[in-house]
Amino acid sequence: MRADLSRKREGWSVARRRRDWTPDLLTAPALVVMALVMGFPLLYLGYMSLHRWSLIGFAPPAFIGVGNFVALTGDERFTDSVIRTLYFTGLGLASNLPMGLGIALLLDQRFPTRNLLRALLILPMVATPAAMGLVWVVMLDPSLGIVRYLFKLVGVMAPPLWLSSPAWVVPTLVGVDAWMWTPMVALICMAGLAALPGEPFEAARVDGANAWQRFRFITFPLLAPTLLVAAMLRVMDLLKVIDIVYVMTGGGPGHASETINLYNYLVALSYDRIGYGSAVALVLFALVLVCTLALIRLRRAAT
Amino acid sequence: MTRRRFRQGVLVVAGWAVVGAFLAPLAWMVLGSFKTTVDFLAYPPVLLFRPTLLNYAKVFADNNFPRYVFNSAVVAGGATLIGLLLGLPAAYALARYRRTAVGVVLLTARMAPGIAFLIPLFVMFLSVHMVGGYTSLIASHLIFTLPLTVWMMVGFIEAIPREVEQAALIDGCRIVGVLMRIVVPLTAQGIAATSILAFIASWNNFLFALVLSNDRTKTLPVAVLGYIGYNSIEWGTLMAAATFITLPVLALALCVQRYIVRGLVAGAVSG
Repeated sequence: MRADLSRKREGWSVARRRRDWTPDLLTAPALVVMALVMGFPLLYLGYMSLHRWSLIGFAPPAFIGVGNFVALTGDERFTDSVIRTLYFTGLGLASNLPMGLGIALLLDQRFPTRNLLRALLILPMVATPAAMGLVWVVMLDPSLGIVRYLFKLVGVMAPPLWLSSPAWVVPTLVGVDAWMWTPMVALICMAGLAALPGEPFEAARVDGANAWQRFRFITFPLLAPTLLVAAMLRVMDLLKVIDIVYVMTGGGPGHASETINLYNYLVALSYDRIGYGSAVALVLFALVLVCTLALIRLRRAAT
Repeated sequence: MTRRRFRQGVLVVAGWAVVGAFLAPLAWMVLGSFKTTVDFLAYPPVLLFRPTLLNYAKVFADNNFPRYVFNSAVVAGGATLIGLLLGLPAAYALARYRRTAVGVVLLTARMAPGIAFLIPLFVMFLSVHMVGGYTSLIASHLIFTLPLTVWMMVGFIEAIPREVEQAALIDGCRIVGVLMRIVVPLTAQGIAATSILAFIASWNNFLFALVLSNDRTKTLPVAVLGYIGYNSIEWGTLMAAATFITLPVLALALCVQRYIVRGLVAGAVSG
């Protein structure tokens, strides 16, 4: 805190002597481009969300105030997609975090080939999601897919129909998402584990704490902030999930796997309801913002 | 000693079992790309089979496929290069003069759903007849490559001792000279890692290309959708195309494996 203050004062006195324009000139090109591809589009999005707006046909955009947002509350397909997305996000967190932590604890141990395994673990998250989604479609095929075969191998004779079952489609997609992103949670946890101080563990060992007690009372509390960072990153992406859903189910069967983001895409760019779709996008943005800030606050409370 | 051995053995087996499970779908995809349809549909599935290159031949027999590869390379290359040219000076300013406003922009970029930029960009590009052009695709990909570049490079630049730059400044070097002669050479490795991460993010991007490209400028992640038809699925061909798209990315990623998580925290805009 103190160091921070003195640094600020130092910066202030420099600024008073002579305004140094160098940093502004260095950031200007990047800021201009960001304003063009991000800032202005966001403002325009807000403007469009207040209009009835379509690209096909001759009707000019009509200002309707918050009409689109009011209409959203009565749009069952939208509210369903919100609930579904929250369900998706909840399942995702509930699977990713314990699995990621477990893998991290395993690969935190010292044994031969450990570093190779850590390196290989990055592969699922960098593999092109659209391509991998299709590979999973083939693997999950209800009659010929390898997943069905593996289930039969362990004695499950009538596994669910995965992507074709309205009840199972979301958990199945969460599974594919977990395949891609649990390794990221694991790697973040590993970084957190490597940074833990050694003394508490020594002390606990001297006091005769067993492995579970050391995990429960030392590792877990100390790692909580790291887990919250992982949770925050996952929440941001889970709430926005679209690629694998678009590729694997297109929102089906029926609307059983239609997430907010997919509904948003369909409404705005397939059904040509640009204004309405803009309103959906703003709501989605707000949802991500609120959830992320809540987790940031939680993390501050935890540290 | 033997107990220790035993423990190590258990850990090795457990480690390979867990990581192996995560690698299995990739391995299965690569294997499948060399299988004939008969082998592919064999029940129970076969691990040993006579490999065929027929699937790859079919992928490249489609005259458009090389074009999609070219499109992906142009868009990812362009978005990476421009991201670097704009991002490097900004990262330097951020690392040395602490500009917090840029940090806020970066966080916003990480949180905003891609669709929030995509709808207005589509409308805007449409009104100037730019939908389907490389320019609009590259511009849209800057939404994630630029923040990613800045975020990654700030870390690398902060690791350079300040004295080196100060010495250069005292010797009469201009800020551009400092950047070109000191910062760039000293962070060469970081620049390479950053470029690779930006390239991967752009190469993998699906949604932006889906909306902003046309039949001529389609990139690979969009083109691969064409291999899954509703009446006839050429499974082997699909696996070959998926392998061809994914393998370069996997190879590049292994080169920069140490930096992957840092890059993902900065994040590609997903969705």
